[in-house]
Amino acid sequence: MTGSLSLSAGADGRGANFSGHLTLRAAPRPDGRTILAAQSFRAPYHLSKPYWDATSRVLLVQVVNPTAGILEGDRLESAITIDAAAALLVTTPSASRVFKMKGGAAECRQHFSVARDGWLEVMPEPLVPHRGSSYRQVTTVDVAAGGSLYFVDQLTAGRIGHGEAWGWEKLCLELDVCVGGERVLRERLDQSGAGLKALAAWAGSGPAACFANAILISPDAATEPKPAWRFEVAALHREGLWVGVSALRAGGWSLKIVSPDAVRLRQALRDVRTILARSFPRLSCDPRKL
Amino acid sequence: MAARKISIVESAGSSAPRRDEPANPALWVCGLLQAGDSFFPTGSYAHSYGLEGLVQEGVVRDRATLRDFIFLSALPALGHAELPLAAHAWRAFGAPDWTEIGELCVLSSALRSTREARMASENIGRQRAELAANLRDSALAREFLRRSTEHHWPGATAVSAALEGRVLGAPLPAILAGVSYASLASLLSAAMKLLRLGQNGAQSLLTEALATAPKFIAAAEQIPRNEIGWFNPWLDIAAARHETADSRMFIS
Repeated sequence: MTGSLSLSAGADGRGANFSGHLTLRAAPRPDGRTILAAQSFRAPYHLSKPYWDATSRVLLVQVVNPTAGILEGDRLESAITIDAAAALLVTTPSASRVFKMKGGAAECRQHFSVARDGWLEVMPEPLVPHRGSSYRQVTTVDVAAGGSLYFVDQLTAGRIGHGEAWGWEKLCLELDVCVGGERVLRERLDQSGAGLKALAAWAGSGPAACFANAILISPDAATEPKPAWRFEVAALHREGLWVGVSALRAGGWSLKIVSPDAVRLRQALRDVRTILARSFPRLSCDPRKL
Repeated sequence: MAARKISIVESAGSSAPRRDEPANPALWVCGLLQAGDSFFPTGSYAHSYGLEGLVQEGVVRDRATLRDFIFLSALPALGHAELPLAAHAWRAFGAPDWTEIGELCVLSSALRSTREARMASENIGRQRAELAANLRDSALAREFLRRSTEHHWPGATAVSAALEGRVLGAPLPAILAGVSYASLASLLSAAMKLLRLGQNGAQSLLTEALATAPKFIAAAEQIPRNEIGWFNPWLDIAAARHETADSRMFIS
């Protein structure tokens, strides 16, 4: 699963498809504060005014979208680069809706690159694939040796409030992570709504199951085989809420959560972030500050 | 030069066929049967491939929930990850294309986000490659091991199965059938220790699952490298939790 910065590529009733792009480069000023040294975006992407969180020493930006969601034919690309000693948190204000399509598809490609001593957190709101949608998302991550990243993505079963779940036509979410030039993770969720619904029923997660997939890359996380935070996060696992933590082949950790509903998933992610912030202070930046 | 020679003739004195001669089916059938048998010392009997974690979580409880796991998770994972990996590796060993083989070893490891699943594949894969080199006096297998050590390639069950197939001169569908059988038989063998499941119950599930093999093997042969991958988040979480379980019967 991959969280999307491709929110709201199009608007209801509009005539044209979007071919949007977002490019950001975060760099440190001489006084240590992170700034956006370069930025370029085209609709549907829009950026909020960045906020410098002096406590966590992280620059917070929201990728804002004035339109309704992702529509058939949309092609979206984003690239975010973190220079050495820069720290950036990228989030979104609302869920990414992928609307019903008539035989076509939408695609999003996003690339994140972190230099040595850089920090990037990517924490978008969940992906909500509607009935009849077809969507492919390709996320590639390159973290240099000594760089750090916390990447979270979330997937919901659909518009649960409208009684619509697991109705998408095709959903393909790909994630490739390289650390120090070496591939450490390749995940590919290529599931019909019916297929994932059947798995959720088999596992007892119910008709509105939600998923979160997090990747933590850090030189500190990579060197300690059994960090205390691992057991604290794993202890969040309880009736209905599945939480698992395991080391990647190098460089960091994989954290996965399955929840019976979006509310519990959101709370679990908050809890995980609070636990991790004790060991990774950059995570103390409040993503809802803007 | 050595690699070029390997691509034409397997090895002098080897029981394996020359590359440019069709292998005797009796030879590769016996070889694949041997490699897929629980008697073959790969250590696979010590793994449940995440099943023990799912049993501990109460998801797999009986034959019905085990059957669901096989059809909803184990077979799709085979068809979208392990079998396409083996198919690409088999083609790469034909030349041989060592760059591609090394990348496939890394990909096999990267596809497993949990440590136990990754170590199971790496350890069994390495053992199988060593057996191919030692039992069959294969220059190709020895060269693979040499390069694996030199470049720190992780062991990979699918890549080693493809290597075995090349050493034996077996055709690709037969190798993928062997991988399918070995994977499902190992899983069901573990299930018999974890659940109230008898021999006949396990064999009936194995028969039902293998009946679908021709279809998913044919599909797996066509999957491009950039589309390899499949995962079940519940299985990954259960496997992650198994790492720190208070008690366990299997390594994975």
